[in-house]
Amino acid sequence: MAQRLLVRRIWTVSVKDIRRFPAPAAATTAASSCFSTSLQPAATRVSFLAPSRSLPRSLPHASRREVSFNVQDHEDFTERVINSQLPVLIDFHAQWCGPCKILGPRLEKAVAKQKGRVAMAKVDIDDHTDLAIEYGVSAVPTVIAMRGGDVVDHFVGIKDDDELDSFVSKIIGQ
Amino acid sequence: MAALFGGRRRWRSSQCFHVWSRQLTGKYDYDLVVVGGGSGGLACSKEAAQAGPRVAVLDYVEPSVQGTKWGLGGTCVNVGCIPKKLMHQAALLGTAVKDAKKYGWQISGPVCHDWATMAEAVQNHVRSLNWGHRVQLQDKKVKYLNLKGSLMDEHTVKGLTKAGKETILAAKNIVIATGGRPKYPTNIQGAIEHGITSDDIFWLKKSPGKTLVVGASYVALECAGFLTGIGLDTTVMARSIALRGFDQQMAGLVTDYMEEYGTKFAWKCVPKRVDKLSSGALQVTWTDTRTGNEHKDTYDTVLWAVGRAPETKALGLDRLGVQLNKETGKIVVGTDESTSVPNIYAFGDIGEGRPELTPTAIKAGKLLARRLAGHSTELMNYDNVPTTVFTPLEYGCVGLSEEEAEKRLGKDGIEVYHAFYKPLEFTVAERDASQCYLKVVCERGGDMKILGLHFTGPNAGEVTQGFALGFQCGATYSHLSQTVGIHPTSAEEMTKVNITKRSGLDATVTGC
Repeated sequence: MAQRLLVRRIWTVSVKDIRRFPAPAAATTAASSCFSTSLQPAATRVSFLAPSRSLPRSLPHASRREVSFNVQDHEDFTERVINSQLPVLIDFHAQWCGPCKILGPRLEKAVAKQKGRVAMAKVDIDDHTDLAIEYGVSAVPTVIAMRGGDVVDHFVGIKDDDELDSFVSKIIGQ
Repeated sequence: MAALFGGRRRWRSSQCFHVWSRQLTGKYDYDLVVVGGGSGGLACSKEAAQAGPRVAVLDYVEPSVQGTKWGLGGTCVNVGCIPKKLMHQAALLGTAVKDAKKYGWQISGPVCHDWATMAEAVQNHVRSLNWGHRVQLQDKKVKYLNLKGSLMDEHTVKGLTKAGKETILAAKNIVIATGGRPKYPTNIQGAIEHGITSDDIFWLKKSPGKTLVVGASYVALECAGFLTGIGLDTTVMARSIALRGFDQQMAGLVTDYMEEYGTKFAWKCVPKRVDKLSSGALQVTWTDTRTGNEHKDTYDTVLWAVGRAPETKALGLDRLGVQLNKETGKIVVGTDESTSVPNIYAFGDIGEGRPELTPTAIKAGKLLARRLAGHSTELMNYDNVPTTVFTPLEYGCVGLSEEEAEKRLGKDGIEVYHAFYKPLEFTVAERDASQCYLKVVCERGGDMKILGLHFTGPNAGEVTQGFALGFQCGATYSHLSQTVGIHPTSAEEMTKVNITKRSGLDATVTGC
């Protein structure tokens, strides 16, 4: 019974997602990360500039607002990420990055599913360049997973919902 | 009060100690400090850091008069080549859409252009390049400082933050690559308050609307070209000739094409004043120098493209005795980019007599870095530099203009092969190709070495790049005629050119 409820909830969320963001098939196949194409070696795929989309606001859970936040400065990062009791996903993104706008909502969804067992810190690399450089971010989106102040995992580029779910589960230690 | 006094004394003595100890031990904070993080500065600093030396680059953007500012990367990345070419492409696509109907595309109704969409996309790409450069500096272990640099002495660079906080850097060698900024006219009332320059046009959030572009340099023509192409009412106001320094016959073809495609030209006109009306529009008063009459018209935007000035004022160069050219204000440099002060070098747009181009700055920067590291003695070769003007009809060239070749060898010393051609793509689109033209200026007699190649047509930049290689290798007319063309292209017409100007024969190509 619980399983069916869970499946239905995930399905509902996914359908809501599809209706909100008409999924461009090209996005998943063509581009996965942003970089200045003139500087990248040929192997990297071209950035896909999607029209800017706001993050989903239709999930009004208070817990979601606590677990997902924009990093304000270095002190804020130390307090809420490094010293966090929860494992934290750090989403390094940029305003000019199309794939980031696709990954962002998916990450929020994956984090929301965990109901407060994992937090998400969002870092705009133009506002917090030093922080991004410190963590070795080159292409965006880059997601770094931290637990107890240590980097435990990371990935670059877009992942689909299932890949994100398994990434997040691994971080929590399920 | 006492503490303040004590503090100042302490600072002064520590500075003295710093200088004294440096002279004693010869230790510098950095082996190389580059002032300017543009095409040249970045290339130089990254190349220099490769071999191990400690390198720092200072980049700072003084906001434009209208308040526009941008990130790391210099003019090319932020307010030059990159946004220019992207907006040029936007304009070309507009023309392509019009042609598309003839090729069978069912396009219902007129197609309009939205400035905000294009501007955001272009600005996003530029920001990604700013970031890319930042990461590259990090990867190559170059210390990046977002500070306004000036020279205290031949081994000391002072960096200032926006708030005025100072950082002092001691450097073994200093390289100046601060480039230039657009000039504002000094004697036209209202020019500074109401006009913008190329520093601003690419960062506008709203469409510039009906625009007056003052100037006839490639900056003026390229901007006017893409503004017309995206559907804006655009006028070019030129005091005398267009594309000064370029082959004038080719310049004429470029402007003829622009006029045919909708750009208005006010030749031999000089603006007198710019006033802002209560509606917000700008009223420009100008004089037609041919008749002496005064005219007025209103525009939404006035874009000044009347030349660029080197960024040397704030550097403190006069205090150090770095020689500047009195007329241009640029730094006088030797063939090895050295200045009149031993360990201070300068290159890129800031160097007197240097081409104001990104590829030459990059190459010169890299070679300078290698020479400073003692790895090479190779000097930058500024000859045979190809270039392209990205006007609606692009113009690519390498080598001498016909006028310059004539000046050097005399009219009888050169042979000019030329041809008008029609790009195949223009045929179905029913586009006029009267200005699609090419000419090869050769030495007359002997091997008939090619002195200059000129080409107007679509993708002129792509076409010219290939021929520049041949030019670099000392191609002759016979090399060119032995080269088999690729068909059907516009570039192949270059290999087929055989009619000389001297013969007076009709230079129109008639097909296969």
